[in-house]
Amino acid sequence: MIRAVIVMSTEGKSRLARFYDYQPPEKQQELIRRLYGVLSSRPEGVSNFAQVEAIFGPDTRMVYKHYATLYFVFVFDSSENELAMLDLIQVFVETLDKCFKNVCELDIVFNFNKMHSILDEIVFGGQVLETSSDEVLKAVEEITRLEKSASSGGPLPKSVVGRLSR
Amino acid sequence: MALSGMRGLSVFISDIRNCQNKEQERLRVDKELGNIRTRFKNEKGLSPYEKKKYVWKMLYIYMLGYDVDFGHTETVSLISAPKYPEKQVGYIVTSCILNENHDFLRMVINTVRNDIIGRNETFQCLALTMVGNIGGREFAESLAPDVQKLLISSSCRPLVRKKAALCLLRLYRKNPDVVNIEGWSDRMTQLLDERDFGVLTSVMSLFVALVSNNTDAYWNCLPKCVKILERLTRNQDIPQEYTYYGIPSPWLQVKTMRALQYFPAIEDPNIRRSLFEVLQRILMGTDVVKNVNKNNASHAVLFEALALVMHLDAEKEMMSQCVALLGKFIAVREPNIRYLGLENMSRMLLVIDVQDIIKRHQAQIVTSLKDPDISIRRRALDLLYGMCDVSNAKDIVEELLQYLSTAEFAMREELALKAAILAEKFAPDLSWYVDVILQLIDKAGDFVSDDIWYRVVQFVTNNEDLQPYAAAKAREYLDKPALHETMVKVSAYLLGEYSHLLIRRPGCSPKEIFAIINEKLATVSTATIPILLSTFAKILMHSQPADPELQDQIWLIFRKYESYIDVEIQQRAVEYFALSKKGAALMDILAEMPKFPERQSSLLKKAEDTEIDTAEQSAIKIRAQQQTSNALVVTDQPPPTNGTAPTGVGQLALVKIPNQNVDSASPDHSITPENGVISKSVSEAPASDLLVDLLGPLAIEGPPAPAVSGEQTSFPGLNATPSPVDALALAILSDQSTGVQPIGNIDERFHALCLKDSGVLYEDPYIQIGVKAEWRGHHGRLVLFLGNKNTASLSSVKALILPPAHLKMELSLVPDTIPPRAQVQCPLVVMNLHASRDVGALDLSYKFEATLVNVKLRLPAVLNKFLQPIQMTAEEFFPQWKALAGPPLKLQEVVRGVKPMLLPEMADLFASLRFAVTPGLDVNPNNLVATTSFYSETTHAVLCLVRVETDPTDRTQLRLTVASGDPTLTFELKELIKDHMVGLPMAPPVPAPLLPQPQPQPQPPSVAVASDDPGAILAGLL
Repeated sequence: MIRAVIVMSTEGKSRLARFYDYQPPEKQQELIRRLYGVLSSRPEGVSNFAQVEAIFGPDTRMVYKHYATLYFVFVFDSSENELAMLDLIQVFVETLDKCFKNVCELDIVFNFNKMHSILDEIVFGGQVLETSSDEVLKAVEEITRLEKSASSGGPLPKSVVGRLSR
Repeated sequence: MALSGMRGLSVFISDIRNCQNKEQERLRVDKELGNIRTRFKNEKGLSPYEKKKYVWKMLYIYMLGYDVDFGHTETVSLISAPKYPEKQVGYIVTSCILNENHDFLRMVINTVRNDIIGRNETFQCLALTMVGNIGGREFAESLAPDVQKLLISSSCRPLVRKKAALCLLRLYRKNPDVVNIEGWSDRMTQLLDERDFGVLTSVMSLFVALVSNNTDAYWNCLPKCVKILERLTRNQDIPQEYTYYGIPSPWLQVKTMRALQYFPAIEDPNIRRSLFEVLQRILMGTDVVKNVNKNNASHAVLFEALALVMHLDAEKEMMSQCVALLGKFIAVREPNIRYLGLENMSRMLLVIDVQDIIKRHQAQIVTSLKDPDISIRRRALDLLYGMCDVSNAKDIVEELLQYLSTAEFAMREELALKAAILAEKFAPDLSWYVDVILQLIDKAGDFVSDDIWYRVVQFVTNNEDLQPYAAAKAREYLDKPALHETMVKVSAYLLGEYSHLLIRRPGCSPKEIFAIINEKLATVSTATIPILLSTFAKILMHSQPADPELQDQIWLIFRKYESYIDVEIQQRAVEYFALSKKGAALMDILAEMPKFPERQSSLLKKAEDTEIDTAEQSAIKIRAQQQTSNALVVTDQPPPTNGTAPTGVGQLALVKIPNQNVDSASPDHSITPENGVISKSVSEAPASDLLVDLLGPLAIEGPPAPAVSGEQTSFPGLNATPSPVDALALAILSDQSTGVQPIGNIDERFHALCLKDSGVLYEDPYIQIGVKAEWRGHHGRLVLFLGNKNTASLSSVKALILPPAHLKMELSLVPDTIPPRAQVQCPLVVMNLHASRDVGALDLSYKFEATLVNVKLRLPAVLNKFLQPIQMTAEEFFPQWKALAGPPLKLQEVVRGVKPMLLPEMADLFASLRFAVTPGLDVNPNNLVATTSFYSETTHAVLCLVRVETDPTDRTQLRLTVASGDPTLTFELKELIKDHMVGLPMAPPVPAPLLPQPQPQPQPPSVAVASDDPGAILAGLL
């Protein structure tokens, strides 16, 4: 079972955190902080695995991928195959890339709500739901259509756009 | 860059990003929370859009790590909103911030159910996702049947069905008692035919959950799984969107192979063959390529295939092929594959046959200890630890010691512990073990836990041969500058006990030893001072009559600490000072420590505890656990009576139990009240204190009760007439000494050995007795393997053979002492004089420490061992059968209460009794005919014929006919066969009156020959 999916910046700020075994908010923060400690100490060009049993408890494993300014992390138990989890990170990122057209950290920051919808189409209750990024994309597009058809947020004022580009 | 589509949310996120520091962020968040709180209070003025926006903001704040303790009602109520966007927010945010026991969930259970059974598929998806992510019990109770319906509905879209499958899985995992899965095995076979790959992947996950709980119910799905795997690996008819970097859905391949690992074995030869073809294709067809993603995907499949091959116990050839592959992997450039290669090699160690092949890669594995990636270094360390045995322990431990100097701090403690454990487990000789531990303390003293040095002290104390060596080593280390404090402790302890053994060596006179230890006194911590004080007291004791100069120096130190602030040190100083004035009494009290009771090493126990993994119950795991329990030195001691868990610590007292002679023999009785006070303080000390310092408040306490047994000789001073109190104490002790429990059932072991020729005859915490036997005609040769399981010798070993009248038995010389961990072989020659079911016995006694153990064991030199199967044709058989007509040469009996057996099982039984079973000799297929010949010195070879007529409608009864040319043999053989058919005759636990006594045996009426064998009473035991 997948225990958690976490996306965080290389500065340690969490961009998405999903725990499939409920964790109270303080605990979540602590876990993310300690996880960052592990990730930030890992040099480039090493494997995508690191030991996290000290953080997440017995029988937990972790794989991560480092893209530009972000870490994508999956924490899971021994019932999952490590490399298959790594592949799933790749599917997640490729889907984001297709959704946002060359995804960057800002997309993820400002669309954290959409990140949840996308993740829900890939991982469901700690299990692999869909592995084809085309299928995920189809589902997400349908959701976006439904969101739009029912309401619209209105255009952004210029001041906001200006601040966003910082 | 896209935006969330909610202006207010984007502005808020942007504000947060612009905060310069955490404090500003907190202010901004507080402001927003205040704003949301006010808006929620006046809910009427809130549009659905605004509500949605605020709830998203709440989730964002929650993700930043702030506590959001309000607004849960608003969040949950959005689930009931009629429109998609609000409903979606409600579902997503609820599943992120509420746990399964939250009361609010109850409020929406009906809405959720309506969404699930309603027709709106998008609503169904939202509801299923939340239920799947939260998975609460009440959801399971009220929704599981509806979710099941969605999964098997033919009208639902795959999008809904795959979610229904995983939702059901989650509900089942969390509440297996609530979800009704009766009859699911047929349904699963249908579901595994699913065409849509998304649904099939989810169904496979569900299947893994079901099959892991109850393999038996899902055998019918096994062929389907193999088919799916075949289709995937052959790339037949795989949709493009499910091909990932050219590989047909690696996830589905992996899950399918995972499912197959839950089946204990695959018997069907056809299925097994096709599965092995698939596995072979995967193993051979995977190469390391340039594209990282492709590599990861193909190796995900490959490593899963390896796990499946291991699980299936493939032929040795295939296993070797797997090891060869892994050997290749641990040397490739791609770090992920190196990592997994090492990890899987560790798993491979559980396969007995390939350990030697793995050892060939030792050099490469050692190289991996220097990998730039700590994850890989850890794996390499685990693997080296796992593959270590007696043959390579020296090399591996030395590599670990070398690595210790350069390893990062994060790994040193683990490294030190592992090196210590390996050194203890596999030491080729004990002096090497002492070397290793002292080196460990020297190189990484900060990372060497107390357990490690306590253990080396125990070893040295229990092995006299080792004591001079260890003391000399300790003395050498003391010359080094900048010694770690742990080294000071262990050196001081060892020299206190054993420096008198070095007395003739340069630099080892009591004065010199004292001087060099005294140098350290000024710099050590409070925890070490008591050890040094004890050492000084012991030095003084060993140099009696004391050199006045040395005595003055030591007294000066005792005097100095008499008013020390630390109570422990003060008490010791006072006591040692007073004791050292007693002259001869000092000798008794400070005599060398007695041996420690043999017990499971706390280190090895630690190692086992960390290895126990409850995650998976696959065959491999179970095998692994069985293996770890076989550690050589593990002894099954009853739990310690003094209640402190790691007793190894508390029992390392420095001073021996005072014997009563001190009081009675010493003219100065003033010691008695002192002694009394001290023992009182001992009894009052809380148990946990024992852990603080190995000396603890134990200054005058010996090892607790289990160390001592009824053997008085363990107290050299106890030859004085014991007072009533003493007698009482001894009575209790001898009670405890009877607690040597055999491991395993002695009767079962004996009966197993009656049917085979090698195995364990007896085992207890100290000794294991194995047997290996060869039989030829009426001669037999048994070898008894007496193995000492401990780190101290077994002494006074005596073995006496009590042969029955019909056997001549001769045991070769059994050595008086069995050295630590050694095994001695004692051949026993047997000759059979005539037929009898009586058995001989072995009366074995030995002493461990002060415990005298005596056992009487039946020896598996039984009647059927002197049989030699003979195949006969019908032409040979029938004339003989007819010739042996009627009693007493041919006996017939209807046997009832037979343990039900099918004919093939019965044939196996006869084969292990050394009969040849000839099928077809009897025309009735329910009958069985067996033939053999019996050898004894008086009769030489006698032909024996047996016929069993079974009743297929009632397998608990049968008719048995036995014929031979010797009436005694016929009777004995018939009884023997009966015993084995009726099942294990449960004899009382090994009988005390095993000595043969003449006694009449009750005779069945059908037998003419009376058995007047003096050993006949023993027959009842078989």
